[in-house]
Amino acid sequence: MTLQQQIRSNRWRTLLLFILFAVLIALVLGAASLAVDLPVLILIGAGMLVYGIVTWFAAGSLVATLAGATPVTREEYPELWQAVEAAAVGAGLAVTPRVYVIQDPAPNAFASGRDPKHSYVAATTGLLEIMPQRELRAVMAHEIAHVRNRDIRTMALAAVLVGVLLILSDVLLRVLVFGGGRDNQNPLALIGTVVALILAPIGAVMMQMALSRRREYQADASAAEITGDPEGMARALGILDTDTRQVRHVARATAHLYIESPLVKGKGVFGSLGGMFRTHPPMEARIAALEEAGGFMLDRESLAADMPAGVVTTVQELS
Amino acid sequence: MITLIIIVAVVVVLVVWAVFLYNRLVRLRVEVQQGWSNIDVQLRRRYDLIPNLIESVKGYAAHERGVFQAVTEARTGAMSANGPAATGMANNALASALGGLFAVAENYPDLKASDNFLQLQTELANVEEMLAASRRYYNSTVGSYNATQTTVPSVFVAKVGDFALAEFFEEENEAARTAPQVSFDQ
Repeated sequence: MTLQQQIRSNRWRTLLLFILFAVLIALVLGAASLAVDLPVLILIGAGMLVYGIVTWFAAGSLVATLAGATPVTREEYPELWQAVEAAAVGAGLAVTPRVYVIQDPAPNAFASGRDPKHSYVAATTGLLEIMPQRELRAVMAHEIAHVRNRDIRTMALAAVLVGVLLILSDVLLRVLVFGGGRDNQNPLALIGTVVALILAPIGAVMMQMALSRRREYQADASAAEITGDPEGMARALGILDTDTRQVRHVARATAHLYIESPLVKGKGVFGSLGGMFRTHPPMEARIAALEEAGGFMLDRESLAADMPAGVVTTVQELS
Repeated sequence: MITLIIIVAVVVVLVVWAVFLYNRLVRLRVEVQQGWSNIDVQLRRRYDLIPNLIESVKGYAAHERGVFQAVTEARTGAMSANGPAATGMANNALASALGGLFAVAENYPDLKASDNFLQLQTELANVEEMLAASRRYYNSTVGSYNATQTTVPSVFVAKVGDFALAEFFEEENEAARTAPQVSFDQ
């Protein structure tokens, strides 16, 4: 897929996403109307609309706040800046995104913003600590690829809409449970409403995840093109995969923005549900895709042998 | 009547299609121009660094005049070159002259250890990296621009409009190879 096709398909998918969410929200409101009084419903609906609009315009800075990312200067992090600038130039971006750093020992990175001109890339201090120059460039190129491919806009919209739907269902469920519902209601309608209110957000989250998985392959491929070094990208993914630490402050709504899934790896609720709730494809599959496109084989043994100091491989207790 | 409608419809579709292809060519041409101005920015940064670099080396090795002159001449040549292909060639010459300068610097441990020289070296390494990145982008846009111009169906539109094949910017990245790897690690 060429870049223009990718941007166009992102535009279509953004629209599709918007329509699908509109339908889901309409369904939720419709289901709720069976059991909740109309004035209450209108009030809640209006509140959600305002909430959605506000979060959309604040999406960029909101994500940064949620992740604990703060802007940094070139003097503080020359190597990171250089990597971001080189990737931006390689991607042909007119404006270099702002550079943010997250104080967190777990290696990870993400890009966000409404459009390429109002975008930023963020890296954790853990990433800067363990990634050698070559691999850091690859990671930053991956983030810049998300900016250039307009992934960030689609993903920001997805985050806002999922947030709206989650809160909406939550509020309506509470209204049903703690009164505010009609007095003589059909018990079947009530059950139906409750089921719809529980299922809708799950469907929304699954949609968000499916959207994000495809993007990761594309961003990996674009990053390889930007740096001209597919093997560097594969090595970076290998290092990220080896390190077992998880970023601490992650809101579920922003999980799909990171280069490596910041949610619990392997076992646990999300792991055992299989691929449905994963925001990212398995690392092995991503590395394999790079190998195939770049025509090389990642030497896993030598990568394991010169794994950068500071990579933590012990399994941690989750708090 | 029906035939007329069909003919008009076909003509309209063809015109819309041609406009679409034309717009794509224009967009690609803009991308190529932007790509080239990115390269130009980096080349200027490179040219600007060279006099400082020469001054820095002169402070320790004033008698190596031949090398300084070679670099200065190569720089002038590169700055006066026109068009991507010629600029690429001239910059190859500049890169090998710079290689000579760094080879000289190798013989002066005091110079190699001086803060000023180290900083210039770091800056040059950064410029080389940005140059390599902008070259990759430029050459890939030139590739798709030229391919669009020479393939059916856009070739017909390209012939009518004011489009010309763009030149690639080829540069052997010799300066980057000869310049010692600079690490930011303390």
